[in-house]
Amino acid sequence: MQEIIISVGIDIGTSTTQLIFSRITIENLASSYTVPRISIVNKEVIYRSEIYFTPLKSLTEIDANEIERIVKQEYKNAGITPEMLKTGAVIITGETARKKNADEVLKKLSNLAGDFVVATAGPDLESVLSAKGAGSDKLSKEEKLTVANLDIGGGTTNIAVFKKGIIAATSCLDIGGRLIKIEDGKISYIYPKIKELAQSNQIHIEVGEKAEVDKLEQICTLMAEQLSMAINRSTRTNQHAGIYTNEGKPLPEELEIQGLTFSGGVADYVYHPADDDWFRYGDIGVLLGKAILKNDGIKKVQQFQAVETIRATVVGAGTHTTEVSGSTITYERERLPIKNMPVLKIPEEEEMDLEAVTASLIKQIPLFYTEGKLEQLVIALSGNFHTSFASVQELAEAILKGSQEIVKSEFPIVIAVENDIGKVLGNAIKVMLECRKDVVCIDGIHAGSGDYLDIGEPIANGRVVPVVTKTLIFNS
Amino acid sequence: MNENDLRKVIEQVLVEMNGAGKEISEDVVKETVLAASTATKVEEGFIPDVTEVDIRKQYLVEEPVNKEDYYELKQYAPCRLGIGKAGARYKTDPMLQFRAAHSAAQDAVFSDVDHEFIDKMGLLTVQTQCDNKDVYLTRPDLGRKLSEESAKSIAEKCKKNPTVQIYVSDGLSSAAVAANIADVLPGIMQGLKSYGIETGTPFFVKYGRVGVMDQVSEITGAEVTCVLIGERPGLITAESMSAYIAYKATIGMPEARRTVVSNIHRAGTIPAEAGAHIAEIIKLMLEKKASGTDLKL
Repeated sequence: MQEIIISVGIDIGTSTTQLIFSRITIENLASSYTVPRISIVNKEVIYRSEIYFTPLKSLTEIDANEIERIVKQEYKNAGITPEMLKTGAVIITGETARKKNADEVLKKLSNLAGDFVVATAGPDLESVLSAKGAGSDKLSKEEKLTVANLDIGGGTTNIAVFKKGIIAATSCLDIGGRLIKIEDGKISYIYPKIKELAQSNQIHIEVGEKAEVDKLEQICTLMAEQLSMAINRSTRTNQHAGIYTNEGKPLPEELEIQGLTFSGGVADYVYHPADDDWFRYGDIGVLLGKAILKNDGIKKVQQFQAVETIRATVVGAGTHTTEVSGSTITYERERLPIKNMPVLKIPEEEEMDLEAVTASLIKQIPLFYTEGKLEQLVIALSGNFHTSFASVQELAEAILKGSQEIVKSEFPIVIAVENDIGKVLGNAIKVMLECRKDVVCIDGIHAGSGDYLDIGEPIANGRVVPVVTKTLIFNS
Repeated sequence: MNENDLRKVIEQVLVEMNGAGKEISEDVVKETVLAASTATKVEEGFIPDVTEVDIRKQYLVEEPVNKEDYYELKQYAPCRLGIGKAGARYKTDPMLQFRAAHSAAQDAVFSDVDHEFIDKMGLLTVQTQCDNKDVYLTRPDLGRKLSEESAKSIAEKCKKNPTVQIYVSDGLSSAAVAANIADVLPGIMQGLKSYGIETGTPFFVKYGRVGVMDQVSEITGAEVTCVLIGERPGLITAESMSAYIAYKATIGMPEARRTVVSNIHRAGTIPAEAGAHIAEIIKLMLEKKASGTDLKL
């Protein structure tokens, strides 16, 4: 028996704003004689919006009203209402996340778009989402290769590397198609780092001068070479370290990239280089695409067609953020959904020792105070060390002892375990609290410190809940 | 045997070998004794336990075309794949593992559940009309009926008309009962308690087939009856257990009215979690007043 849920993805990026709807099919893969095993069996994009330039009021402010209008119009075009959506993600990526009213825009969207996830994506998350949208994870699994996706957007290039389907590393560089802009045949904007890069190679470029294809092509060649260095195909120069976004880290040097996919706006001009009309978008994107294609280092790596190019990030956000929990779990229907819960992770080495579990909780809970007050949080643990009935009881007791503060609060106790003990652990806690407290205990979910978790409304006849982990590592 | 005894034996053998009456020199005997007594050496250590091998991790094909891929494939299920061969036959290690698994399966069927264990779990023991394992295996019909005495005992000692009657039975694997009951049973009880559902007096049925639950249901008058029973053992595990659950079971009802949760063991569905799951199924059964194919899960 299959069930279909509709998911939305909205990406407000540095240069473009996009929206997609996708259909996520879930199915019980277990026979009817065993405990159900409900999994996502198919993900399919069913609607792609127009690609809009991200509307800005000024250099520091997003035009929230225009975004609202775009989203409303696209929902109407697709024939989708917010009530039809079970899950999804809105992400503000790249440069746009740093605009002063980014939070306000997110709030507006979450009211408008449906009852689900809203997230501001850091560069790492964006790298992973775009690579998943481009299909690099699947490709690396099927071809058994180490595949890197280069998501080359307006402001940044996000790199995610997958080894046999598992994320191995991410990185983000200030290399993009809109770092030099051209208006009326003249250069109207140069990103400082790019100007430096050019200058150190004896190319002088100034705002206001005439846009020369030759000169800009040389700069694009330098930019492409930086990408080649980033994927360990050219020797890294001293200057290279400075090109990473927010002084971020490069990929590990020992990582050997065996396959490449390209996504982002520039990707289409890597796969299908243009011959003329170089400044058709008022930037150097088309030239950059050509330079990447011609780069010797990049040429050495086997290249694959990405499933999505300019839409990779939004498709990643709309289809690859949602997972489903294990099929035997504990929850209180009226408490769901719960959004944006910070994860309190009990480290595995502490989990083995019950006293350490209690101590860890007592120590960590105050770290999650907002303005001196407790907020809804989720306790995450592996559950690998307590599987017999008796030891699950002990674990439940240790957790309760450590989280008295949550017990006394108005918030339900929310626990996410990896191992399949969610239901028995939840029951144990409920019985210990004489059923006077709401308990949500789900399993099959990996969450780490620093992650945020959203638990949606139950699906598949109430057996599972959709879960969005806003993290680097998704289990698929 | 001490050195003197050994000496006598060897002397005798040598005498016999050399023909009766012949004189044996003292030296020959001494030499032979010395050689024999030094040749026997007790080694420290042990032969590795073949049942400790994780067959998902054992890959024995020599000169494989693609070992890595085959190994990854093996991770999906504990099957005897990629175990190599010696000529047309199994290698020694897989052969021993196979026989060990087969023996474990046989033992699971033919041995009885330890009485002490049943007492420790606080379960009253009753029996079907089978008197021993042979009758049990050859007469499935008798395994579906309680002995007269047992039927009486249940009627007298167990709570009447409980909402849920849970009991345990050996079925075809006593090993399954020993391995899982301590986790599954309390798991169910706790789950039911959290839903506020009351349960009857649990007990143990020796030599039981699934069908005996119908008679148990009629005697106790339970709304839902649930038996935890050992599954026919296989070569992967001999400890797998099933729960058969039915709403108002009656003797002669169609088999389709039973709901089953199978594959409960350490490497399948975690027993304690399975217990919690079974409790939820029971709750659903009580709500919908149906079971088996009539109940959509």
